[in-house]
Amino acid sequence: MKHGIRVGVLISVLSAAMIYWMRTIPWMPLEASREAKDIDWLFGLHIDVITFLYVLVNGILIYSIFAFRRKKGEEDAVGANLHGNTKLEIAWTVIPLITVLFFAYLGTIVLSDISAAAADELEVNVTARQWSWSFEYPDAGVKSTELYLPVDRQVKLNMTSVDVIHSFWVPEFRVKMDTVPGMTTNLRMTPSIEGVYKVRCAELCGTAHAAMLGTIRVVSQEEFEAWLQQGQQQETQPEDLSEEELINLGASTADAAGCLACHSVDGTKSVGPSWKGLFGSERPLTDGSTTIADEAYIRESILDPKAKTVAGFPDIMPTNYGETLTSLDVEALIAYIRSLK
Amino acid sequence: MNIKRILLGLIIGVLGGAALYTVMRLLLGMPALASNPWPLVAMAVTTGLIGLMLGIEPSLGLARGLLGMVFGFAVGLLLVYVIRLLLGMTPAWNPEPAWVTGALLGATGFLLGVGVMTDWLKWANGIHTPEQDGPPEGKPAWVRYFGADQNHKVIGVQYTVTGILLLGTAGSFAMIFRTELSKAGIDFLPADLFNTFISIHGIVMIASILLGVGGMANYLVPLMLGARDMAFPRLNSFAFWIAVPGALLIIMALFFGGWDTGWTGYAPLSVRGPLGIDFFMLGVFIFGFSSILGAVNLIATTITMRAPGMSMFRMPIFVWAVLATALIQLTGTQFIGLSFLMVVLERVFNMGFFDPASGGKVLLFQHLFWFYSHPAVYIFILPGLGIISELLPVFARKPLFGYKWIALSSMAIAVMGFLVWAHHMFTAGISDSLRVPFMYSTMLVAVPTGVKFFSWLGTMWRGKLSFPTPMLFVLTSIAVFLIGGLTGPPLATVPTDLHLHDSYYVVGHFHATMFGGFVFPFFAALYFWFPKITGCMYNERLGKIHWFLQTVGFYTMSLYMMRAGLLGMRRRIVDYDPALGVEGYQTVITWAGWIIFISVIIGVANLAWSAYRGKVAEPNPWGSRSPEWQIPSPVPEHNFEEPFEVVGDPYDYGVPGSIYVQMHPKPTSAG
Amino acid sequence: MSVTAHAQEMHHVEEISPARRLYMNRLGLWLFIISESFLFGGILVARFYLWGTTRPHLDQALGMSVTILLLASSFFANRAEIAIKHDDRKTFLQSILITITLGLLFLVGVVGMEWRTAPVTPMMDGEFNVYGAVLFFMTGMHAFHVLTGVILLAIVARLGAKGHYGPTNFWGVEGAVVYWHFVDVVWVFFYPALYLMGTAVGPVH
Ligand code: HEA
Ligand code: HEA
Ligand code: HEC
Ligand code: CUA
Ligand SMILES: [Cu+2]
Repeated sequence: MKHGIRVGVLISVLSAAMIYWMRTIPWMPLEASREAKDIDWLFGLHIDVITFLYVLVNGILIYSIFAFRRKKGEEDAVGANLHGNTKLEIAWTVIPLITVLFFAYLGTIVLSDISAAAADELEVNVTARQWSWSFEYPDAGVKSTELYLPVDRQVKLNMTSVDVIHSFWVPEFRVKMDTVPGMTTNLRMTPSIEGVYKVRCAELCGTAHAAMLGTIRVVSQEEFEAWLQQGQQQETQPEDLSEEELINLGASTADAAGCLACHSVDGTKSVGPSWKGLFGSERPLTDGSTTIADEAYIRESILDPKAKTVAGFPDIMPTNYGETLTSLDVEALIAYIRSLK
Repeated sequence: MNIKRILLGLIIGVLGGAALYTVMRLLLGMPALASNPWPLVAMAVTTGLIGLMLGIEPSLGLARGLLGMVFGFAVGLLLVYVIRLLLGMTPAWNPEPAWVTGALLGATGFLLGVGVMTDWLKWANGIHTPEQDGPPEGKPAWVRYFGADQNHKVIGVQYTVTGILLLGTAGSFAMIFRTELSKAGIDFLPADLFNTFISIHGIVMIASILLGVGGMANYLVPLMLGARDMAFPRLNSFAFWIAVPGALLIIMALFFGGWDTGWTGYAPLSVRGPLGIDFFMLGVFIFGFSSILGAVNLIATTITMRAPGMSMFRMPIFVWAVLATALIQLTGTQFIGLSFLMVVLERVFNMGFFDPASGGKVLLFQHLFWFYSHPAVYIFILPGLGIISELLPVFARKPLFGYKWIALSSMAIAVMGFLVWAHHMFTAGISDSLRVPFMYSTMLVAVPTGVKFFSWLGTMWRGKLSFPTPMLFVLTSIAVFLIGGLTGPPLATVPTDLHLHDSYYVVGHFHATMFGGFVFPFFAALYFWFPKITGCMYNERLGKIHWFLQTVGFYTMSLYMMRAGLLGMRRRIVDYDPALGVEGYQTVITWAGWIIFISVIIGVANLAWSAYRGKVAEPNPWGSRSPEWQIPSPVPEHNFEEPFEVVGDPYDYGVPGSIYVQMHPKPTSAG
Repeated sequence: MSVTAHAQEMHHVEEISPARRLYMNRLGLWLFIISESFLFGGILVARFYLWGTTRPHLDQALGMSVTILLLASSFFANRAEIAIKHDDRKTFLQSILITITLGLLFLVGVVGMEWRTAPVTPMMDGEFNVYGAVLFFMTGMHAFHVLTGVILLAIVARLGAKGHYGPTNFWGVEGAVVYWHFVDVVWVFFYPALYLMGTAVGPVH
């Protein structure tokens, strides 16, 4: 009995202290969506229970190590003759059973909360491919390589993939959903803090999986509408922009369209050749010939990457930029690459 | 040793390999010399090594098997070429079907070469062959460990040593990609190679677990049951040796473009990738036979070969764990084989199972795959948990608390394991009517697992504990598996899994379960039965150093993995965004990985050296009641010279006057 | 009695008796069959997952015929087993040869005829749609097992002809026959799944 009381006190004190300590640790990144609140709450509760159980089991274990160790002169001593205790066994079957069922119940509630549709939800179609994201606003008829979202409004993503499975994950929003070829999957989320976030592809999808990032811009409702309108308007022509504007646009397109996943701009070798010093240089091709990297070559490299392949690199550059990029985007990219001396 | 013969073997091997390679190229309609010289070199080195081994000992099963594998490959490649030529298909040389056939025939060639099929072929010709009895005559004693031997103890050692070799292989790959990950940015490992390395790390580790489990089960189960061997000794030897070409194919995948799909090989990515994927999948497929046939043997042995008086509830608890494991292996393994086979068929014959364009469905793969691979995780741990239950009473000098509950909880885990597979697919696009039931069923598995934990605590309570190396490993197993297990429920809860899925949190979770459920108990078992297997004692101090480093290293590694995952660190990425704030954690994980690596080397070195030079062990150093400790070490060829009867409960340590097994006294000593 | 002599005798006592050996063999075979049935169960699951309540137009007469062939073969296999247990070598040999013939005819029907005529895309280097894929996969996996069964039966027939089996030594026959029955039972599930269930879609046979 004496042991029981001691270990009981030990565990109560220790677990209270541990739970308190664990609660002070910021486990999660920025909580930037409404769903994140519910999910973090549930996760916090999990951590509490995990901490308690961890202390419970290890507390008894460590107590036993000290209290019941074999001391000097006890070489042949034996332990107490306990074979089992049916009441105890039932207790430690039933109590965990209730605990886990309770968590499953909470899980069900939270799940239905975070997946309920709001009346004014915004629909966006998401297409994933090796290794980039593209977005379409069906109501406004706008296509984009960045995901613009109005703050505090629920968005429903209708997602699919054109090649292999990818997964849409924004750690700050705490939600994730695979994009599956041949299927449309749905994900609802409600961004609650304005800012720039990254979509991180969470399902291994081939060579450049690590680099499959997309950009999300959470903006105010007004900004969002302005952006949509701009997207609906007649396309700007390359001639309308100054060289500098063009280069800036090219730089942001390169980021948003996922080029920088494979190309560096500082000369380091990555999945694809670096863009630094590319323009005007002589390019060795896999068929043994060489070509000069002029504008036509770079345009061809973007729109039809299979036409010429640079020696020493795999022929894996995505082939569908012709569909996802506007001609402005392409000209801007060329200007940007040209600027990288 | 005959130096002349060895040199001759080496030279014939090198020249023969080079010649075979050149002839194959000519036969397959290619120019004799390739622009890339490395395949030729690899071929010559392989056959050179085979020649070397055959020079050392011409009857070496392993070397003959490898030779058979080389010829099997050659025959397979030619076969496909000739068939395609005859059917008028172009191009006649199509690497995909050719190498797949080559791999299958290569594995067959290996088995024929090793000699595990000799008896059956003789049987088919009406020649009766007796079961092998004792070491091969007229050859050095060590030869039996490198060939088809039917003694379960030899096979157990073969399994265990191969398992440790694979552990080392997979661990080395881990250290390479871990070093790459210690800093953000791509330093030396290109993305596709990184993907191949994590995949090979994952699957080879799993293969090493399966072999380690096979090793413990094969060595211990017949001894614990009081049997002279397994129920089907020939099948036993076959089951071990078929795993070897399986493992070789997996490793060969490296030289065929690798495979960048992870160990899970999800379609449709696996349908597109390089030829290495075929090798990986066929390797696993062939490995599966090993699991299935091993399970048949273990179940049959447990049911039919128990000593007189040993009822099911008087078996050592480890046997229960193995029985539950074998039931999963027997049934579940077919599904991973099936899913991988379908991918290979889709690749070779364009059969669009998983291709939406031809009406297939992507998710079918995941359902089939996880229907095996979730229960498989319980294959990894149940034997390990059995080891914990087996050793605790010995070191606590106290009966096992709640024997029946522990035994039945293994069965409960095995059965419930089949009802939870879709928890790996919570974000895969399955409907809520699947997600919610699978959330509940997954949670339920925590209950029988908890029973084990609390019963272990009950076993230690008011015992008289001592702490030699095996006991230390047992205690850490409990603490580590506890972290792994307790981090399961947040994954099993759908809303939290939406964040956690495919993050390093999952990586931390499963390293903790696998270390706590397999790696630590495996080392506990190695240290505990080492004196039984070799007759020598290991070095206690080195054992404790190994334990300490592995424990510290492991805690650090897995806790930081989980931490990084929560912050947004994805799995399977060669480069991460330093903006997440995980770079410091990644550096620590890498260091911790190195500590584990070094600790395991110390442990293996300790065992290897002690087996060779260790001091002679006492017959029953732990004072165990289990039957295998009542006979001399190392164990005689057919285990128990005198039959015994079971007259009590296995774990009544400290119960005055109780005995478990009654050895029948020899009449001479009575006389 | 000297110690070594005694040890040798004990060694003998431990040798497994023929009856026990038979029991163990049967258990082993049944365990293997349980394992295999999970394989075929998985294949059926794939069929229902991919085809749902549809199926391609297949030659019903052919399907019916091969099914009858296979069921008949099981009857003869059974007769062979009973015959050898009653030491009736002539019937045994006769029946087992009939079984093998029927099995081979089944293979001709499925591989030789169905595979050529089924209204799905070609055999090699072509694209298969999901109907072709599942059809060839199911029949292929089954045919592979039939083939191994035929080979086993052929070995048994050859050994039987040489007089290897008798009323006390029949495990080889029994094992092969039980395996054969299992392969038949699998077809009993595959036949309706391929030919009968659901509505037929796609090009008519
Ligand atoms: C040895 C292997 C092993 C074991 C034993 C487990 C055990 C468990 N696992 Fe784990 N798991 C893996 C290996 C393992 N897992 C692997 C390899 C993966 C990743 C695969 C991949 O994608 O590559 C994975 C992934 C994985 C996922 C998918 C995550 C994702 O990808 O999104 C989930 C989700 O439910 C899960 C849950 C669980 C649960 C609930 C248990 C339970 O069995 C744990 C039960 C144990 C306890 C809970 C502790 C003891 C109990 C008590 C002390 C009683 C009281 C407890 C409570 C009241 C909670 N695991
Ligand atoms: C038993 C299983 C097991 C074990 C022991 C380990 C051990 C280790 N694992 Fe691994 N791991 C997996 C199973 C395992 N892993 C699986 C299944 C995956 C998933 C793969 C996938 O995503 O597809 C994974 C993935 C995985 C990742 C995630 C990769 C990613 O998603 O990007 C990481 C990252 O840090 C990692 C690290 C490590 C490290 C540092 C160790 C260290 O502990 C390693 C230490 C080294 C050893 C233990 C070997 C030492 C032994 C010797 C030196 C032998 C000497 C003897 C002789 C020569 C005879 N592992
Ligand atoms: C998945 C990786 C990947 C992505 C994403 C990618 N590329 Fe590439 N790119 C490559 C590789 C690999 C090569 C070299 C092989 C080749 O020429 O096809 C290449 C070649 C090029 C070249 C020719 C470079 C040279 O050295 O001659 C240009 C220009 C180029 N890419 C532009 C782009 C642009 C613009 C984008 C984004 C809109 C983009 N790439 C996205 C991988 C990628
Ligand atoms: Cu797309 Cu990973
Ligand atoms: Cu699981």
